[in-house]
Amino acid sequence: MLCVLARFSRRSQAAGSVVALTVVVACGGRVDSRANRVPYDSSSASPTFSTAVAQADTDDFGTPLPTDAEFASRVVSLNPTATEVIFAIGAQSRLVGRSRWDEFPADAQKIAQLGDGIRPNVEAVLGAKPTLVILYAAAENRAAAQAFKNAGVRTITLRVDHIAQFMSLCTRLGTAMGATERARQVADSVQRTLDAVRAATRGAKPVSVVWPLWQSPVLVVGRGSYLDELIEIAGGVNVFHDMSAPSPPVSLEEIAKRNPDVVIASAKTSTTLRASGPWRAVGAIRANHLVLDNPALSGRPSVVLGMAAVALARALHPELSGSLP
Amino acid sequence: MIETLAPVRGGRGVWLAASIGLVMLVTIALVAVAVGAVSVPLREVLSALTGSGDASIVAIVRDLRLPRVLLAGCVGAGLAMSGGALQGTLRNPLAEPYLLGVSGGAAVGAVLLLGAGVSNPLLLTLGAFGGAAAATLLVAAIARVVGGSGDTRLLLMAGVVVGAFSNAAILVALADSPPERIRGALWWMMGSAADATWPSLTRVALAVAMLGALLLWWARDLDVLVLGDEPAAALGVDVDRAARRVFLVASWLAAATVAAAGLIGFVGLVVPNLARALGARRHRPMMVVSAIYGAVLLIAADLLARTLRAPADLPLGAVTALIGVPFFLTRLRKLAP
Repeated sequence: MLCVLARFSRRSQAAGSVVALTVVVACGGRVDSRANRVPYDSSSASPTFSTAVAQADTDDFGTPLPTDAEFASRVVSLNPTATEVIFAIGAQSRLVGRSRWDEFPADAQKIAQLGDGIRPNVEAVLGAKPTLVILYAAAENRAAAQAFKNAGVRTITLRVDHIAQFMSLCTRLGTAMGATERARQVADSVQRTLDAVRAATRGAKPVSVVWPLWQSPVLVVGRGSYLDELIEIAGGVNVFHDMSAPSPPVSLEEIAKRNPDVVIASAKTSTTLRASGPWRAVGAIRANHLVLDNPALSGRPSVVLGMAAVALARALHPELSGSLP
Repeated sequence: MIETLAPVRGGRGVWLAASIGLVMLVTIALVAVAVGAVSVPLREVLSALTGSGDASIVAIVRDLRLPRVLLAGCVGAGLAMSGGALQGTLRNPLAEPYLLGVSGGAAVGAVLLLGAGVSNPLLLTLGAFGGAAAATLLVAAIARVVGGSGDTRLLLMAGVVVGAFSNAAILVALADSPPERIRGALWWMMGSAADATWPSLTRVALAVAMLGALLLWWARDLDVLVLGDEPAAALGVDVDRAARRVFLVASWLAAATVAAAGLIGFVGLVVPNLARALGARRHRPMMVVSAIYGAVLLIAADLLARTLRAPADLPLGAVTALIGVPFFLTRLRKLAP
């Protein structure tokens, strides 16, 4: 979770309004402007919520998930991905609180900010009189989940490190918020874009990449992150795919040894890496083989995952621009 | 305790220890430059040092390994000299910058900046240096106000208090920080030579050279101070002034190393004691031998830090603590009545 929040906080500073405008369904947008095969209807000011009942299921802390929208009247989301999905499925009117890291879409800033999402201030959250609290499934949140349970407040605790977990989160929140159809459309739209990108890059020669997330200590994208999946979908090969953590610490010399074709970095980080003496040990930096990442798209596993894959594929394989969604 | 630090003429043993230390220093430095994730034959390492050969090998050796090894050496030398001087001026073989609040003060300065989002290395260096300088002055002021004189036990206790206060200040400063800043600050507080660059090396090398030279210049005062206040005064040494200036300069020397590589404990404790055990009893040779062996120890520790759990780097401060804690306990046992 540290990494996820780190990406949120770091990248959110660079995030422009473009994404927010693009993804917020409730504002009339679509999940993915390039993959708009399933635009969901957001014209309705008061969305009609479905009454579908899902099978019994448990969250990542083993708590049974709601099977309908019984607890959705006042929702506090302390999970950035969940907050973004709630907006995307048009259920934001139920939100009465968010964590300070829940910054997307832009309209989320209008929701009351209740502090951290990890080890949350239980009293502040209860002060918002929620009927449902959505948490990130970090071990540090177990005590808070128990405290909410003791206070008679329902919780949903979900981890979102991988794309499949994002899809699952959409489905589960759709049920809990009473918007199963919209949630399905959001998930399907993202999935179709990802599939289209994968199909377009299938025949291309894979580009080996390293994706540094932090410089001191050096943290890179590992197999445990959705970013590793994005690399693969976009026609790349993560040279640290063998490392199971989402953002393992590695030495610079190990990066030099694995000798990736390109380094993926934001514009700001690219400038730093180019000017860094030690990073010159990495061949791709010496050759100025840097691929610009847009943190506003890739900074979190969210409804813009499809767009993030398209942007990355364009950067890694400019020759495929015509065939990408 | 005073007896433990009493200077006696070292004789030929000191020169032998220094010579062996220099050989070890050159050897470990060469090994450290030659060993890493990328396997490079020694011949290519040597040619890369002169700038010839494959561009990637030259970059790895000259931009990555060499500044890192030299930085570790400088920091080790600086910490060991600082520890030796502090032990002399406080007349306590267990004194060292890490235990005296100096490192903690430096950490406060740097962490406050890191918490505010500052990542410029030069500003962080200045922040750490400023924090350490403030902590040093605070320790000296507390000891003076409480004791009214340069009582070394009070300096030690004041150091512990300032160190505890520094830890509290760091926790408060980080409480509201985003996770990645907390991780960056923690990494810095655990010490590492991984971020070595030529500019950071130049800064710490200059600081170690200048402040270390000052300490060597005043080493004779330390020899006299160890005899006790009255004999020292009888020999014409202004005890308070001598103790205060050595304390300040030794602390700033430690601050310069903290600014370059974060918090690294126990080098300043272990190495001066080792130097005395090797026969270097007078302060000048003791600090010279300490500088050599401090460099050897930290280069070796850094080599372990980057190879033990490769491809990850271990925190250098953790490695030195693993070496230093057993030593500290052994010393405590010897000092017990």
